[in-house]
Amino acid sequence: MFRSNNVVARLFQRQICTPPPGTIVHCARRFYENLVPSHTIYDIECPDHLFRKFTEDGQYLVCFSRNHQELIVYRPSWLSFSCKDEDCDIHDLPPQAKKFDSFFTQLYCVSLASSNELICKDFFLYMESNQYGLFATSTTQIHDAPAVGGAIQGVPSIEKITFHLLRLEDGVVLDEKVFNDDFINLAHNMGVFMHDDLLAVVSLRYQTIHILQIRDSGNLVDVRAIGAFCSEDDELFLNSNVPTMGVQLTENNVENGLHQGLPNSSNYFLSGIKQRLLSFIFRGIWSEETNHALRAQNLKRMFYFHFQDYVDLIIWKVQFLDRHHLLIKFGSVDGAVSRTPDQHPPFFAVYNMETTEFVAFYQQNSADELYLLFEQFSDHFHATSKNSLYLNFISSHSNNVHAREQLRSLKNKASSSSQFVKKMLSSLPINCQSLSPSPYFDQSLYRFDEKLISAADRHRQSTDHPIKFILRRQPHALRFKIKPGPEGGNADSRAKKISSFLFHPFLPLALSIQHTMFLQPSAVNIHFRR
Amino acid sequence: MNKRGMVMMSSNPASSSSSASTWVSTTSVSASGKRIQREMAELNTDPPLDCSAGTKGDNLYHWIEILLLGIFNFQFYVMLLTSGFGTLFIRFPFATWTPYEGGIYFLDITFPSDYPFKPPKVVFKTRIYHFDVDSVGNVSLEILKDGWSPALTITKVLIAIRKIFTEPDPCNNPLVPGIAHLYMVDKAKHDKIAAEWTLRFAK
Repeated sequence: MFRSNNVVARLFQRQICTPPPGTIVHCARRFYENLVPSHTIYDIECPDHLFRKFTEDGQYLVCFSRNHQELIVYRPSWLSFSCKDEDCDIHDLPPQAKKFDSFFTQLYCVSLASSNELICKDFFLYMESNQYGLFATSTTQIHDAPAVGGAIQGVPSIEKITFHLLRLEDGVVLDEKVFNDDFINLAHNMGVFMHDDLLAVVSLRYQTIHILQIRDSGNLVDVRAIGAFCSEDDELFLNSNVPTMGVQLTENNVENGLHQGLPNSSNYFLSGIKQRLLSFIFRGIWSEETNHALRAQNLKRMFYFHFQDYVDLIIWKVQFLDRHHLLIKFGSVDGAVSRTPDQHPPFFAVYNMETTEFVAFYQQNSADELYLLFEQFSDHFHATSKNSLYLNFISSHSNNVHAREQLRSLKNKASSSSQFVKKMLSSLPINCQSLSPSPYFDQSLYRFDEKLISAADRHRQSTDHPIKFILRRQPHALRFKIKPGPEGGNADSRAKKISSFLFHPFLPLALSIQHTMFLQPSAVNIHFRR
Repeated sequence: MNKRGMVMMSSNPASSSSSASTWVSTTSVSASGKRIQREMAELNTDPPLDCSAGTKGDNLYHWIEILLLGIFNFQFYVMLLTSGFGTLFIRFPFATWTPYEGGIYFLDITFPSDYPFKPPKVVFKTRIYHFDVDSVGNVSLEILKDGWSPALTITKVLIAIRKIFTEPDPCNNPLVPGIAHLYMVDKAKHDKIAAEWTLRFAK
């Protein structure tokens, strides 16, 4: 059936036809083929901030000051200007309109960092339902920190990490949560995952998953800590039972002369989560085989031989699958810090924090199984909250045929299947809120070079060529271009340029930021529909 | 699988009696090493029930890592035994219900260099509410102290450990008198607490 791509024709079409059931949003999104950010204002005059991102509801543009001290929040507003001539559309924009201020209104600027702390520019989480923002400030990290008080050897330490919960509407700090002498991976939100009102914070240093809840009142409340113990009252239970043993213990120590002072019992036992993991693995191998001799062989090969490896595993990263289930990546200490995943294949486990049981464990041999789940049900790994509308339309290989096609071709190109699986699984658990919900990244609407630009919130090496967005449907034409950097290209073409792109979640509005060198002001372009 | 308590043990054979010249050669095994190897083989052929034990299998990586900590003799034997021997594997059926049922307990067994003349050291790595196990996991067994004899084997030790679950004896010099006392005056309460510990810490 012939369909016109003309916007007027489409509007008429919309008036007279009802779209097939369940496709109303998809049909409405096709208008983004007509409304595109095709006009660029190069090197706009703008404050020298670090532009972080648009919130998912498009209400705020979050920026940090260059000195990593202040948070500056803007409200995106649509450009408006007056023109005296008859046909304004032909004219170039008046110079007064070519300003950052005509697109964004500053709401406030608050100082988050105090004394020796700095804002982590790569960290920001947004709770859409309450319009709360979560920010982090930290002191510098100490690499060769001694492992004291149950800390893991080889993990760096940060003296103080503070999470700030802000009401983005007016910039009021509602609550703070401080972690002392700990290490939380803040880059790209890696160490923190938000699901609805729940937060999972991974303390790499103390191997604890802190589950926090953001209350509507704006408080950060500790729900439970998974690590040394599994249930929230395990420690209390232990302490209420221990006095009868404690007395005996000290006597015993004096007798043996083994320990000086009261020992910390957590060093002697497997941590709660490790006990659960080891017994889950053990039970699995045990119940797989009923023949005694074969079972013994299996246990030796699959359990005892790797026993110390399992004991040495540490939690790397965590994400929520739903309100009860966590996907946990385990690995070696080296891999967690040096970030060289090649040598150390990670282990994945699904843990139910309500029943304190492991549900699944995937290691090298069963990685394919996890990969198949990821390939077919990728959207389940992007556990979106109920109320975030736009996030449901982020293209993935399980909801978009084009993305799946792309994945297939990558899979076929890969030299070995196991390498490909390893590479794909390296993105799990996913980084929280790392994908832009902009319709221009919808792969059923547009085709673009994923090496140069994608929905993922990453810095990319930039080229002097504009990035093309080509229509996925008929007539497969080039619809618009995004070009970061100055209009005429850079004078010094050898200098390494990094660019980042901030797309508004639903308006045809985008910022491209090109950094040439450290400490040099970046070149910011605004792309919008004129 | 019927419901049973499982006791799982990983053993850590150690030897430092061998001099530098003997441990360099992979073919020569010290007397204690040979003895441990024989006991493992024996366990393999005639395993007691409800228990599973094996050497903490090690790869070269771990050998190096632990070598850096300075106990290479110790780990050397782990390597030897892993390459040459089968897994120790025992399983005991619990005839009657115990509050430890359903739990999996991990234990570390470390053999001294002059084994079998000195007893192996047994430590619980899983928290347990028992009057014979203290709050850091040390287990009190007569045969692991003064009652030790070189004629005893790993199998006998495992059977003895299993016995503290199945036939607890609170009168015989318990390590934690508080729990032993509770066991004697109010067994129901003791069992309730012990079952709760199993559920919380040994699942």
